[in-house]
Amino acid sequence: MRKKKFSSLRTSKYVFALPGFCFFAFAILIPFLMGVNIAFTDWNGITKDYNYVGFKNFIDMFQDKRILQPMRNTLIFALLGVTGNNIIALSCALLVNQKSSKLGSVAKVIFFMPVCFSAILSSFLWGFIYREVFSQLFAIKNLLGNKSLVIPAITAIGLWNSCGINMLIYLSGLKSIPTDLYEAATVDGATAVQKFFRVTLPLLMPSFSVCVTLTLTSWLREFAMTLASTGGGPGGASRTISIYIYENLYKYSKAGYGQAVSLLFALFLILIGNVVSTFFRKREVEL
Amino acid sequence: MKNKSYARKKKITNIAITCVTLLVMLVFCFPIVLAILTSLKTEPEIAKSVLALPSSPHWQNYADAMEKSGFSRSLVNSCIVTFPSVVLIVLCSAMGGYAIARGSSDRRVFRYLDRFYLASLMIPFQILMIPVYKVFKSLNLQNNLFGMILMLTGMSIAYATFLFVGFVKSVPRELEEAALIDGCGPYRTFFRIVFPLLKPITATVAALHVMWLWNDFNVALILLQKEEVRTLTVKQFYFFGQYTANYGMAFAASILCMMPVILFFIGAQKYLIEGISAGAVKS
Repeated sequence: MRKKKFSSLRTSKYVFALPGFCFFAFAILIPFLMGVNIAFTDWNGITKDYNYVGFKNFIDMFQDKRILQPMRNTLIFALLGVTGNNIIALSCALLVNQKSSKLGSVAKVIFFMPVCFSAILSSFLWGFIYREVFSQLFAIKNLLGNKSLVIPAITAIGLWNSCGINMLIYLSGLKSIPTDLYEAATVDGATAVQKFFRVTLPLLMPSFSVCVTLTLTSWLREFAMTLASTGGGPGGASRTISIYIYENLYKYSKAGYGQAVSLLFALFLILIGNVVSTFFRKREVEL
Repeated sequence: MKNKSYARKKKITNIAITCVTLLVMLVFCFPIVLAILTSLKTEPEIAKSVLALPSSPHWQNYADAMEKSGFSRSLVNSCIVTFPSVVLIVLCSAMGGYAIARGSSDRRVFRYLDRFYLASLMIPFQILMIPVYKVFKSLNLQNNLFGMILMLTGMSIAYATFLFVGFVKSVPRELEEAALIDGCGPYRTFFRIVFPLLKPITATVAALHVMWLWNDFNVALILLQKEEVRTLTVKQFYFFGQYTANYGMAFAASILCMMPVILFFIGAQKYLIEGISAGAVKS
């Protein structure tokens, strides 16, 4: 009798884990394995039959000249996005942290609010600002139609839409720094700038490692915002790798090739995510 | 004397910081305020000046937006997709998280499952885009809200489970052991004793996922191609592409889309901010 109860306790754990795993397998695991398979075929995305072509897709990728610009754009997006996002988020967090009164909590809510809007809505709002407001106020032509400024312009939309998240992470990092360290620094005659660089920044390293890794991987994947605001234009000036993969499926009917690109892209993302997070982990200080 | 000047200096910095905070707040609010203003203007007014206040609120834009956009249908679709998915996510991942947290000490399977879920968080959606399209096409689940629910739930399970595992580990075992000794079965123990204790993390997981699923664009773009199944984000994507000429109406429509989000945000703000501050952020 006792034994029976014990075994049902054990099996119950499997029963608990099963439904979640089924959903997971259906949505992620099976498509992932299928994707590896598709990358070695010449499937066009429409017909039922396809042929295995071995490593042809991967070899093609290294000879594909069209992939160079999306690669460059993706890297620029990531660079601008990561630096902009972290600088703005940290400054907002410092501002909110300074004002512990009512204004601080109101500011926190306001800085966070844009995060709730979808990328589509944000790019529509900012598209209007770029098209109409900028041209009426400063007589600047639409930035989204300008080949060299389109990427910074889209980055600005993304920053408005996503800074709130990192602001909160930095804010909780700032709150966890003990105040006696600042007091000690004041007694030792440190200026505000010195305090920031010698006390705040080193102790914020854990937040940095989270925020930089998160923003880097999410900006490298940039998709919805760019698709909604320019669709990769003008003339491919803002086409990212993600959009290129999407176009290979829907526009060029080269699903097999697109999948090969995305497979290497995923490997790259995982690699760079690990490199960056270990880089920052090593610089974290223990209290 | 020195003390006085120090106090004065402090006051000045304080005022400066307040000003800067207000200014940044203004920048963050600007697009939203602009959208509200524009949605109340007539076409000639918008063409004349984008920043001027409307002479009198032009509510007709809202009536037009309701009528022409067909947003009510996509609003229903978004609700049909989001809420059942969130319920499924919370249930499955609470159970899974409980199993992993309690089982991983003596069963290796659960430890591997935990690591497996974590590793899957690194997979970008782009790599699933093409195969998901293929699977759903062959199963006839494309343009089907039920298929969309399956996909959204499956994509969120790994992360939600990860959040639950962390929380369950901080819940003491004694309560459930007492319940088991009293003859309560493992399933009843979970739903009667453990699940109520998980309320804080459940609220966070639910709030975050309502936000993420409501705003999901990638999955919806691949799976929902037909007009009548489109969710709000996909609908917006095509609608804003079409009606950029009639700004008043487009903005009225965008305000209508924002309303549920803002209402939700006001209600769930606490859980969202708590959850993200605690590090509950997906890459």
